[in-house]
Amino acid sequence: MPTYDELKVVGDAAWTAVEKPARPLFVVSINTSSIAAGARETYAALEALAASGGFDVMQTGDDGMSWAEPIVQVRKPDGQHILYGGVTQDKVADFAVAAAAGVVANLAIGVIGGAADGIPKLWDLDWAKMQVRWLMHNCGVIDPENLEQYIGRGGYAQFVAATQMSRDDLIELVKGSTLRGHSGSFFSTGTKWSFLKDATAEPKYLVCNADEGDPGAWVNRVIMESDPHSLIEGLLIGAYATGATHGWIYLRDEYPLAIERMNKAISDCLERGILGGDALGTGVNFTCEVVRGAGAYVCGDETGLISSINDERGMPRIKPPFPAQSGVLGKPTNVNNVETYACVTALMRVGADTYSTVGTEANRGTKMFTVSGDVGRTGCVEVPFGMTVDELLAGIGGINDGLAFKALQQGGPLSGLLPAAVAGPLRLEPEPFRELGTGMGGGGLIFLDDRRCVVDLNVMMAHFLEDESCGRCTTCRIGNQRMVEIFERTSRGEGRGEDVAHLKSLDASFQYSNCFHGTLSPTIMRNTLQHFREEYDIHLNEHRCPAQVCEGLVKYVVVGNSPALAEAAAICPDHIAAKGVQPNMDGRCSRGGACVEVAPDDVAVVDRFDGLIPLREIAPADVARAG
Amino acid sequence: MPDNEATLEIQHLIREFKPADGDLMGALHAVQHHYGYVPKMALKVVARQLRLSEAKVYGAATFYSEFRLTPPPETLIGWCSGLACRLENGHGIRKALETELGVGMGENTADNKVGLHFAQCNGTCEYAPQVWVNGRVVGSLTAASTVKLVRELKK
Repeated sequence: MPTYDELKVVGDAAWTAVEKPARPLFVVSINTSSIAAGARETYAALEALAASGGFDVMQTGDDGMSWAEPIVQVRKPDGQHILYGGVTQDKVADFAVAAAAGVVANLAIGVIGGAADGIPKLWDLDWAKMQVRWLMHNCGVIDPENLEQYIGRGGYAQFVAATQMSRDDLIELVKGSTLRGHSGSFFSTGTKWSFLKDATAEPKYLVCNADEGDPGAWVNRVIMESDPHSLIEGLLIGAYATGATHGWIYLRDEYPLAIERMNKAISDCLERGILGGDALGTGVNFTCEVVRGAGAYVCGDETGLISSINDERGMPRIKPPFPAQSGVLGKPTNVNNVETYACVTALMRVGADTYSTVGTEANRGTKMFTVSGDVGRTGCVEVPFGMTVDELLAGIGGINDGLAFKALQQGGPLSGLLPAAVAGPLRLEPEPFRELGTGMGGGGLIFLDDRRCVVDLNVMMAHFLEDESCGRCTTCRIGNQRMVEIFERTSRGEGRGEDVAHLKSLDASFQYSNCFHGTLSPTIMRNTLQHFREEYDIHLNEHRCPAQVCEGLVKYVVVGNSPALAEAAAICPDHIAAKGVQPNMDGRCSRGGACVEVAPDDVAVVDRFDGLIPLREIAPADVARAG
Repeated sequence: MPDNEATLEIQHLIREFKPADGDLMGALHAVQHHYGYVPKMALKVVARQLRLSEAKVYGAATFYSEFRLTPPPETLIGWCSGLACRLENGHGIRKALETELGVGMGENTADNKVGLHFAQCNGTCEYAPQVWVNGRVVGSLTAASTVKLVRELKK
């Protein structure tokens, strides 16, 4: 097997070919988000033109700019390096010729290397300026399926360096860095590793939790699709520190590209002797494999995940024993998530001293967040711990359409929801969130503008929590069913004043559940009851939905007769055929308000109980979306 | 295909999976990848190969929402249940799908041509609200464009 130095020579050459290409190199981001935007078609179109155009094409992962996909970077032999956005297939023919020869100003987002007149430097943009890219060092930079490029960018040197330290020193370094589980648990990684190191039974195992199920969180997907070797390197460092010999990466089924790239990375490592025994001559004997999940959110709980690997239904169990005593196959096991393992690689690369210069006293370093909802720049960013929510929001372009920031739903269905006035000034680290009875979670941040309804949001969350409850604890299984019933009823206009007391009583009984799925299920309900009580009262007592969102609280009435109305009737005739409210339908909508989208001037959304009193003006954005 | 032949085929599909090795998920995926679903008889073959009770295999196959025990429809529409989609009328998209297809979530049309699947957020939230048509994201939908999409698929 080759030594590290031999691999490094090949790796340096591979990376130099990218950094200083002999002819223009078009680098296309291929990741789940860009594929949705048509990046594969862009790639194919560029490839077809490459020979005649005198340029080369290569893929990279995800630089976090979902808002600009499909993204193509063009690297030139003279060092000029420009990132272009929105390069859809139909633009490729003109773009390829122009970008190979010069600069395409109308698609350029920023200059990464060299200079180009009139185009800003990428890292001067607000979106980029706030970021520190340690975890995302290779994201959108290397070809994630190319081990040589990873090594050329300094990969696997961290592992080799770690093995030159004593295992105790290494664990002390990780502890001292303040690194804590980035999944949302924020338990000291070094301490967790010391439990496994001190366990007496053999063999020992590592598990990587890649079952990132929180809606709106795709941090781990970005890492696995863009830099899979940074995860494997983190696992190898963990294996050396703890004495583990085998690892499982439990990867959710919803991420097929991440599964493909992790498997490719593992098989490349096996081939080069990085995995599978005496890794790079260090004596570390470790290998790992991907276990493909199958759509169970509760497997994100470490004991649920271990059950799933152990040929069981993925049901969390009672602790103790803790995984470090008895985990996979009954052996000592350490579970961390993708970002945490990758963070060890990043920590070793930047060095403990530099690492400690960023972040806050309690939380050094950086955290990746995925931002979505009513914001301008959906995507993934990496920022220092301690940045405020308002600062981050400004960097991602603020709330869409100049609307007001109503609330932040952070960290998935178990973490919480805070109103803008409370969330805005919060520092992004776990403690300030905990003090408010919420969690920061694993990185998902969903921003809501002031058109959104918190009762509707609870309907969605309660359904999710009910559906994903494993069913073991009565408090969680039945508690979530009751929560669904109450919110469903409320959104149909059958809420009752006493439901508030019912919800509070449910909250108390949830606390007797075994795992976090149960104990944290009522968090969003509790947060919204505390901060949006008025909205609850209007729904429960007045049977109105001020946002005109709740299905059973609005009805559709024909008020005009422009040509658009016939078009709307062809899409959904339910209310239009009768020129008014269909009594047998109770005014309810069967096709999601399609008629209003198509004929906004002819169909009015009105309060179901108060008659023809429009609750709000139809926003211009809604009109623009129609048809 | 006669039963014993099918058994041999499944045995071949899962030949590398071992008992007590964390292989149940892999074995079920291998079967589903080949057939598009997990046929009932496969539960028995998997159980035998991994030395598990059939009840345990059935329990796992039905616990995870991505395993299906019936043949998939020709076109599977995965409806994203995530919050970013919900904010953009995702629930209305669901109503439009169900009404237009005449089936509920998790069901297929009588001719097995189109089916609806409750799917989880995969982080392509830039294109909310969205569905996945046989795995391909169809995003930035409106209720009206959803109706048109379904009518096209039903043709």
